[in-house]
Amino acid sequence: MKSLLTAIKVGSIGKIAHFKDDLIAGKLMTMGILPGSMVKVIRKAPFKGGLYLKIDGYNIALREQEAANIVLSMSA
Amino acid sequence: MRIALAGNPNSGKTSLFNKLTGLRQKTGNFPGVTVEKKSGILHLPDKQHIELIDLPGAYSLYPSSEDERIVLNVLINPEDENYPDAVIYVADITNLEKHLLLLTQIKDLGFPTLLALNMSDLAEKKEVQVEERKLSDFLGLPILSISGKTGENLENLKKEVGKLTGIETVGQPFYKFNEIEKTVSSNVQSIFGIKNPYRAKLFAHHHEKLPFLTAREKEKAAEIVKKEGFNDLRLQITETMQRFEQFVPTLRSAVSQKNNQSSFTDSVDAFLTHRIFAPIIFFVIMFFVFQAIYAWAAYPMDWIEGGFAAIGDFTRNSLPSGWFTDLLTNGILAGLGGILVFVPQIAILFLLISILEEVGYMARAVFIFDKLMQQFGLNGRSVVALVSAGACAIPAIMSTRTIGNWRERLITIMVTPFISCSARIPVYAVLIGFVVPADTIGVFNLQGLAFMGLYLLGILAALFSAFIFKLILKTGEKSYLMMQLPSYQRPSWRNIWRNIIDKVAAFVLEAGKVIMVISIVLWFLASYGPSKAMAVAESSAISTAKAQSLDDTATADLIAARKIEASYAGHLGKSIEPAIKPLGFDWKIGIALITSFAAREVFVGTMATIYSIGSSENENTIRDKLAAARDPVTGAKVYSAATSLSLLIFYVFAMQCMSTLAVVKRETGSWKWALIQFVYMSGLAYLGSFITYKLMS
Repeated sequence: MKSLLTAIKVGSIGKIAHFKDDLIAGKLMTMGILPGSMVKVIRKAPFKGGLYLKIDGYNIALREQEAANIVLSMSA
Repeated sequence: MRIALAGNPNSGKTSLFNKLTGLRQKTGNFPGVTVEKKSGILHLPDKQHIELIDLPGAYSLYPSSEDERIVLNVLINPEDENYPDAVIYVADITNLEKHLLLLTQIKDLGFPTLLALNMSDLAEKKEVQVEERKLSDFLGLPILSISGKTGENLENLKKEVGKLTGIETVGQPFYKFNEIEKTVSSNVQSIFGIKNPYRAKLFAHHHEKLPFLTAREKEKAAEIVKKEGFNDLRLQITETMQRFEQFVPTLRSAVSQKNNQSSFTDSVDAFLTHRIFAPIIFFVIMFFVFQAIYAWAAYPMDWIEGGFAAIGDFTRNSLPSGWFTDLLTNGILAGLGGILVFVPQIAILFLLISILEEVGYMARAVFIFDKLMQQFGLNGRSVVALVSAGACAIPAIMSTRTIGNWRERLITIMVTPFISCSARIPVYAVLIGFVVPADTIGVFNLQGLAFMGLYLLGILAALFSAFIFKLILKTGEKSYLMMQLPSYQRPSWRNIWRNIIDKVAAFVLEAGKVIMVISIVLWFLASYGPSKAMAVAESSAISTAKAQSLDDTATADLIAARKIEASYAGHLGKSIEPAIKPLGFDWKIGIALITSFAAREVFVGTMATIYSIGSSENENTIRDKLAAARDPVTGAKVYSAATSLSLLIFYVFAMQCMSTLAVVKRETGSWKWALIQFVYMSGLAYLGSFITYKLMS
C-alpha cells in the first residue's frame, strides 16, 4: 500500500518508495534520505508546522511541502 | 600551502578547527557574500606552517544554501583565492552513512584527502567500531579517528597532513559517468581546459550560477549542455544514488555500532518540541536570555560609562581647554565609550546563544517556529533575533548569521530595529508622563499599560514590515527547512569563547569605525557654529546670568544652552522645524532628534542641555522642566499630550541609532540596505507621528 508521508498518522512507519519532485528529491538525497529509507513520523510542529521524523535512526525536520513529495510504501 | 576543512553540518568541524588553530585564527567573509570565513595557521611537527580554512558545513556539491554554494565555488575553481591544495574531511563517526557523500565528491575532484573520523560524546559511550584499514582501502585515502573536543590523536593528524602534500589521488572515481555525461564533460574539458572530468561535469551542471565565469563562458557551457540533452536534475539524482550504493555496503561491513538512536535526545525532545509546550518553553528560555542581557549587562555597562565619564573629567580638567581637549573628550572619548558600552550586551547574548546552539536547541527552535515565521517571510531562527532585540538590536542583528537563506536573513535584519530596545526606555520614561496620568485602573498602572502598548506597537511594525518585504523581495534561491535535528550534547566552551571573541571583535573593529566617525561629526555639529553667532550666544548668556545673579553651575548650563542653539546642530534643528512642525515638534526637539541619532538615550541629555539643566542627570528634573515649557508666542504648553505622544510614536519607529546602521552595513555588506532601512523607518516614524498629532490635536 502506497501513501504520502503527509497522509500518515503520527507514530506510523513506512519505507520510502519514491519521490514526486526531482528538485526536492535531489535535496533530500544529499542528506541521505533515499528510496528504501525507513521513516517514522514522531510528531508535528506547533502552529500547524512541519514534521519531526526519524529516518534510518536520524532525527530530521521537514516542511509539509517537502514531506508531500515523499511516497511511502506501508508494510501493513 | 593551504588545506581546507570540509564536512557536513554537525560533523564537529568547527571544534576541530578551533582545537587545531587555537588563537592563531582570523574571521572574515568569503568574497562577495556574508558567509563567515574562518582561517588560521596550523603548525606541523616538521616546522611547516599551513593555512587552514574552515569551509562552511555542506552535504554535497549540489548546494541548497549560500553556505553550500561557497563550498562548491571554492572547490571547483583553481583560481579562487581559497582554493585548497588538500582537504581534511571531517565526519561524525556515529553518522558515517549520511556523512560520506560529499567526501566521495571531493575525492572525485582529485584533491589529496584525509578522512578524520570525529568522535562525539556519544561515540565514546556507544562503542562504535570502525575497521579503519578496510574503509581506508576502499575509499583510497588515509583515515584517522580523532576527537575535536579532547584533542585525541591530533598530533598524528598533523603528521598525516604533512604527508598529504603533492599526492595525486589514486584509484577509480566513485561515480561512473553515463554516455551523455562523458560527452558533455569531455567537451567542457577541452573548451575550458579542465583536467578533471568530475570538475567538468559540475561546471556543466552549475554553469549558470558560477560567479567566476564570464557571460561568454556561460553561453558556451549552455550550448554544450543543450546540444547533448544534459538533464541536470535527473543526473544529479542518479549520481547521488550511485554514490550511496557504492559506499553504503562497505561502510556497513566496516562499521559496527549499537543502535545510533539517542534515547536521551528523544525523550527530551518529547517536551522541547511538543506541540503545545514547545513555544512556552522557548519563550521561558528567551525570557531568561532577555533578562540576562538586561540585568547582567547593566553592571559592566555602568562601569564602562562611569569609566569613560571619569576619563573625560580627567582630560577636561588636566588638559588646557580648547578645541582639542573638547574633541578628545566629547568627540573621541564619547565615541569610544559609545562603542564599548555595547560590548557586554553582545558578549552575553552570544554566550547564551552559542550555548543553545552548541547543545543543539537552536535547531529545535527553527523547527518550532518555521511555519509561523514563514508567513512573514522570516525564518525559525528570526525569533531569536526579534526577542533579543528587546535588549539591543546590535547583537540581535549579528545573531542572524545563522539564518542560511539570504532573503529571510535580510528581512530579519531589516525589521529587527523596530523592536523597542533598552535605549528607548529613558525616552519613553520621560515622555510617557505627559500623555498618560500616573493613575491605576483596578490593578493596572496606566503608564505601565502605555509602556506595554509602545512595545506591542514595535512588534506589530516589525511583523507588518516583514510581510511587506516578503512581497517586495524576490529571490531565485528557494527556501527549505529540511535539516537534521542533532543529538543533544555538552557544549564546547572553547567554541563558545571563540564565538564571543569573534562577535565582539567584529563589532568593535568594523562597526566601531563608523560609529566613531559619526560621533565626531555629531560632536562638531553640536559644538561649533558660525563663530560670530557662537560668541554672541556666549556673551549674551553671561550677561543674562549676571543680571539674574545665577550661580556658577546655572551660568555654565545657560551658556551651554545658548551655545547649542547657536551651533550648526541648532541651525539644523531650526531649519528642519518647518518639516517637523506638522508632527508637533519645535526646533528644540529638532536638535534632540539630530543629536540622538548617535543613540536614542542621548535625547534626554540633549533636552537637558537645551533647557539649561545640563548638569542635572535626573530624569525627574528634566521632566519637570519640560512640563513647564511654554511656547514663547502662544503660551501653550510645548509638551502637550499630542506632541508627547507624537514624539513617543516617532521613537518607536525611527532608526535613531548610528550603531545599528553601522552593524547593518557590516552584516549586509553594503550601505544600500542600511540606507533603505533608515529611510523607511524614518518615513514610518514621520507618518506615524503625523497621524498621531493630527488625531490628538
